[in-house]
Amino acid sequence: MSLKSLDPRVTRLNLPEGEVPAMEPKPELDQFETYEAFHQKKEGAAYTYVGPVHAPNEDVAFLFAKEQYSRRFACTGLWIVRTENVQVTPYGNDNENLYDSLQFEVPTQSSDIPEPYEIFHLKKRGKAHTHAGRVMATSYEEALQEAKQAFGEKGPIVNVWVVRSKDVLQSAEEDKDMWTTIPEKKYREAIAYKVMDKITKYKEENKPTTAQ
Amino acid sequence: MNEQAIKDLLYKLADDQLILGHRNSEWTGFGPILEEDIAFSSMAQDKIGHSLAFYTLLQELGEAEPDTVAFTRNANQFHNSQLVELPNGEYDFSLIRHFLYDNAEIIRFEMLSQSSYEPIAKVATKLKGEVKYHVLHANTWIKNLGSSTEEAILRLQSSLNEAMPYALGMFEKSKFEQELIDAGVYAGEEAVKAEWLKRITAVIEKTDLKLPDLATIEPKFGGRYGEHTEHLQPLLDEMAEVFKIDPTAEW
Amino acid sequence: MYGGGNVFEATKFDDVQTEDPAKLEEFEARIARGEKIEPTDWMPELYRKQLIRMIEQHAHSEIIGALPEGTWITRAPGFRRKMAQMAKVQDEVGHAQLLYSAAETLGKSREQMLTDLISGKSKYSNVFNYPAFTWADSNIISWLIDAGAIVNQMANAKGSYGPYSRALERICAEEAFHLKYGHDAVVHMATGTPKQREMIQAALNRWWPPIMTFFGPSDKMSTHTETLMRWKVKMASNDECRQQFLDMYVPKIWELGLTVPDPNLKKNMETGQWEFTEPDWDEFKRVINGDGPCNAERLAVRRTAEERGAWVRRALLNPKAKYVKPLA
Repeated sequence: MSLKSLDPRVTRLNLPEGEVPAMEPKPELDQFETYEAFHQKKEGAAYTYVGPVHAPNEDVAFLFAKEQYSRRFACTGLWIVRTENVQVTPYGNDNENLYDSLQFEVPTQSSDIPEPYEIFHLKKRGKAHTHAGRVMATSYEEALQEAKQAFGEKGPIVNVWVVRSKDVLQSAEEDKDMWTTIPEKKYREAIAYKVMDKITKYKEENKPTTAQ
Repeated sequence: MNEQAIKDLLYKLADDQLILGHRNSEWTGFGPILEEDIAFSSMAQDKIGHSLAFYTLLQELGEAEPDTVAFTRNANQFHNSQLVELPNGEYDFSLIRHFLYDNAEIIRFEMLSQSSYEPIAKVATKLKGEVKYHVLHANTWIKNLGSSTEEAILRLQSSLNEAMPYALGMFEKSKFEQELIDAGVYAGEEAVKAEWLKRITAVIEKTDLKLPDLATIEPKFGGRYGEHTEHLQPLLDEMAEVFKIDPTAEW
Repeated sequence: MYGGGNVFEATKFDDVQTEDPAKLEEFEARIARGEKIEPTDWMPELYRKQLIRMIEQHAHSEIIGALPEGTWITRAPGFRRKMAQMAKVQDEVGHAQLLYSAAETLGKSREQMLTDLISGKSKYSNVFNYPAFTWADSNIISWLIDAGAIVNQMANAKGSYGPYSRALERICAEEAFHLKYGHDAVVHMATGTPKQREMIQAALNRWWPPIMTFFGPSDKMSTHTETLMRWKVKMASNDECRQQFLDMYVPKIWELGLTVPDPNLKKNMETGQWEFTEPDWDEFKRVINGDGPCNAERLAVRRTAEERGAWVRRALLNPKAKYVKPLA
């Protein structure tokens, strides 16, 4: 006998009825890597951190982040970075500028060719990291130093994330149409549900009759 | 323009989308990975939304309102291909069906967005971006799983073999085929199928999967004319269970 | 959808005496200043353990909470309800994903949490062990369980842990839709045909007792609870949440002419507090320990989903991949 559920989908799973044997511990291999996602709310706005996804590679991470983080609110673009590729500074106190407390070593002359790095700032604890801009550097350390000069003046900044630009998977310009209909999906917005008329009508029709 | 021909086309499109959207929604909460559960549900919602858009065009042509059309017809009044009504099976079958269906759907949307029949062209243009994600999703999964473990390849291959006759059934011609082509509504099923074959072959070639020999496959036709498998009527009964408690009530 | 309650059981990490006093002072001063704690900050073991526990239970409640309403996902009547029901259940899965991520930043992997859920080791909100008999039950859940969850989550969003607050802000924004959708559906039923009205009253009768236990029993105030409140882990007492919920939603139930199945329910105008029949806490305990109408099915479904999906995860695993916990 298999389990007959109130949910026809569950009934179709043909689950055994009654006690089920204990599950084998899940093997380690179930644990995918994590990727961090950043979205752009509107054209020209800075990319903002929205959260992580678990995925086997960045293409799948993009598929996942697109629906987990951009299905409900306006979006014009998405960036994906493997968590491991984000360099994180220590967290400072609110209302202070973290760059002031960073000690930089005197840069040694590097023969490497500079490459672009993306810089993300956290302005207040509990908020989300926002893209501050791009710098050219030969290392994370140098990128941070460049970032301090380029946009480190405007505090407070409590934390900085540094990512090599080539490690960022960016949604393509021609894929913007994947998001164009989001504002039209009213069935998943609170504003689409207005029942005051029905309640008022019900109350009108069912007024307790008061004595004359 | 022959209105009957347009209606027939709209029913085909809308019924496919409704039934597949319904099937895909069965996965919500049961998916193989949390994030995939969410993505699959979004696409199911999109499909239902697309069917609603096309049923609304039908209503403008004098047909009953979308809720009535979707929730009160019997299986023999549905014009969907048999592919979409088949049970979900395991995730490999659902993915393969999604891959085969959406690679055809995007071609229809591309063609219809250029349609001489303006109301369809407008809807297709607006919704095309959503189908684009569906195709990206399907192709990415097939490419990833189709060249992964032996187990996954075997599963996908067997689902592909099983689904292919039904997938070919999507291209069953309507009795208005030539009229629709002549009037520039869209290029017709033969043209959709030829382009579809090109596109799915390109993806499958990047994997360890093999496209079955189409010459030896008998397509499962009939869906477009109301002939269905034994799976559609129970699906419709389930879908309308609450609605039919009182079809005149506002739920 | 999570109402708190039954979270803050004593653990062996109750003792904060062993923590470094200077670090503890700095940590407490930060919270007192109204600053959030971020994942790489120093934090007392008690704080870490209780947060993992709370966020994990919250996440489990979302993923299991998708099942009672999921019961009606293929049967929602009409396009409007069908699409909304799908989106609503999807959101619950989405919330689980967000919350597991927040808990992961504290050092427990998602797979470990899922394993603990399936093995019955960790708990989830007790209400989801009750069945959704009819479409109307699903409507009551969408409205009132989500309403209760929002009361709890709005309070917790002001808590001290950054990643949890961020997740909750997003969750509350999404749940504004759930609440309105649920209310809309209940109003349609209550003001609809006699049959619809009968269905919704019956569902309310079934769900009221579990709803009253949703926020958990009255808190036993201990030094432990005081510490968690000072650290802004626990933001409001279970009773405060329950009172706030009753204040906001009982009038909305009554205005639809529905009967709340508790003859003792009334607001005491002098104290400003709602009075009600004490919920059956023995049943609550019995159900939470596994003996409810749906416990076995809920876990079996979750487990089956995991097992049926195992080949997909096996196929995609990159052997060189190294799991790194998410950043924030």
